[in-house]
Amino acid sequence: MQDERSLVQRAQKYDQEAFAQLYERHFDKIYRYIALKIGNYADAEDMTQQVFINSLQSISSFKWRDIPFSAWLFRIAHNQVVDYLRKKTRQPTASLDNVLAISDSNPQQSAEDSLATEQLMSAARKLTPAQQEVISLRFAGELPIAQVAEIMGKSPGAIKALQHSAIVALRKLMLDDKDVQPKKQPNR
Amino acid sequence: MFNRKNNQIDSILDDCLERILVRGESAEECLAHYRQYADELKPLLQTVVATIKALDIEPRPDFRAKARYQFHSALKEAVSKKHRRFFGWQLRWVTMASLSLVLLLSGGGVVAAASNSMPDSPLYQVKLVTEQIQLLLTSSPEDKAELHAKLVDRRVTEIINMAEEENVGLVELTTQRLDNHLSMIVSISATQVIDGGILSDWAPESPTITETVTTTIGAGGILNEVTSDSLPPTVTKSADTTVLIPDLPVPTVIYLPSEDLATQLRQYSASNIAALYAALESASEEVKPALMQAIAVLESGYSNALSAIGE
Repeated sequence: MQDERSLVQRAQKYDQEAFAQLYERHFDKIYRYIALKIGNYADAEDMTQQVFINSLQSISSFKWRDIPFSAWLFRIAHNQVVDYLRKKTRQPTASLDNVLAISDSNPQQSAEDSLATEQLMSAARKLTPAQQEVISLRFAGELPIAQVAEIMGKSPGAIKALQHSAIVALRKLMLDDKDVQPKKQPNR
Repeated sequence: MFNRKNNQIDSILDDCLERILVRGESAEECLAHYRQYADELKPLLQTVVATIKALDIEPRPDFRAKARYQFHSALKEAVSKKHRRFFGWQLRWVTMASLSLVLLLSGGGVVAAASNSMPDSPLYQVKLVTEQIQLLLTSSPEDKAELHAKLVDRRVTEIINMAEEENVGLVELTTQRLDNHLSMIVSISATQVIDGGILSDWAPESPTITETVTTTIGAGGILNEVTSDSLPPTVTKSADTTVLIPDLPVPTVIYLPSEDLATQLRQYSASNIAALYAALESASEEVKPALMQAIAVLESGYSNALSAIGE
């Protein structure tokens, strides 16, 4: 795998092959990050695309320094998400069922997986914003702890603690959700 | 004591996560490394594994293909734009340098003599070249618009002169040049750039977008044609997700004072239209249609230019 730094340098000179490699390398991670944060697959797809178009338009202003390219991309994605959620709060929210119904058109995803994803997204939405962010960056974005720390402006130690509390909270929320499910839909 | 234990668990959990996420180890393998913490770790790692499994989602294949195509198209467009910009600059500088050299070699006297030349004069081309150099050297959009306004005034004088010479062809040609200057005023005045420095400050090197918006200008004046290097991908503000995002400045629109240009255009408009009507009265029948065309172009051109700057 080619060094990301040299790929970025080439991409900044509009080397199409380098940019294409960066795109393929990060596309799925950015998509998962956005999907987890907003809980809507269709919108996550559009927003992922927008993140890469924006990065294309602003790549020349990117300077490596202490921030790796992936962290920069996630910042763009984060800003898109924040803007999306800000606009969304002004509109009636679609129910999660409706939102996830879109994903049912994906033949690769079984109903069981969809349920697990639905549970996770539902639980993640109840975390604090900081916990949500660390889970999204770490699990969906697959970023190392040092990069998450850089992005969130905290020490790696603080991120580890936050990650711990987020997983504990997520477990509790997912278990609570499981306990509630049978009451909502009793077996016949 | 409690904090130290917590710190240890934080680090152990993170190490397990690294092993599972990056090295592809199983939860059991990780627990085997930390047997003394197994009771506490096991439920957490179960959640980690469940989360990873639940997040095993991908964009739809048809979307992925469409997105890839769109991205590659945008990439190609960006590459060709970059080349156009580069060669555009080269061309401008080469043109400017060549013309300057020609003018220097021919001597300043020629330029001075050409400045009052008419379209039927051999020196007229020098006059036009000098004007082009002036325009190339003028970077501010407002100054450029003012220069075009002055050149419209010159063209009117030339049209009147050519009408007196009964040179219909040169009246028509000069009217075309006049029309170009008026169109440039409208075009420059109708271009505004919005500068919205609104990216979160946790991005030391913020991703930026340059965005030029063409719109009708309000009564405030014309807008500077500035290349903004501070536009962010998105507005970033949310009540419940401000964990990383500080307060953001309100987007600003940069206005330039248009008073000089508006005043000039109003004055030129009144005097030049009157001058052409006066020329029409004394013009031969042969040249009258060309002059009437020049008047129509001038009237509508000034009207459009004044509208474009909100007058």
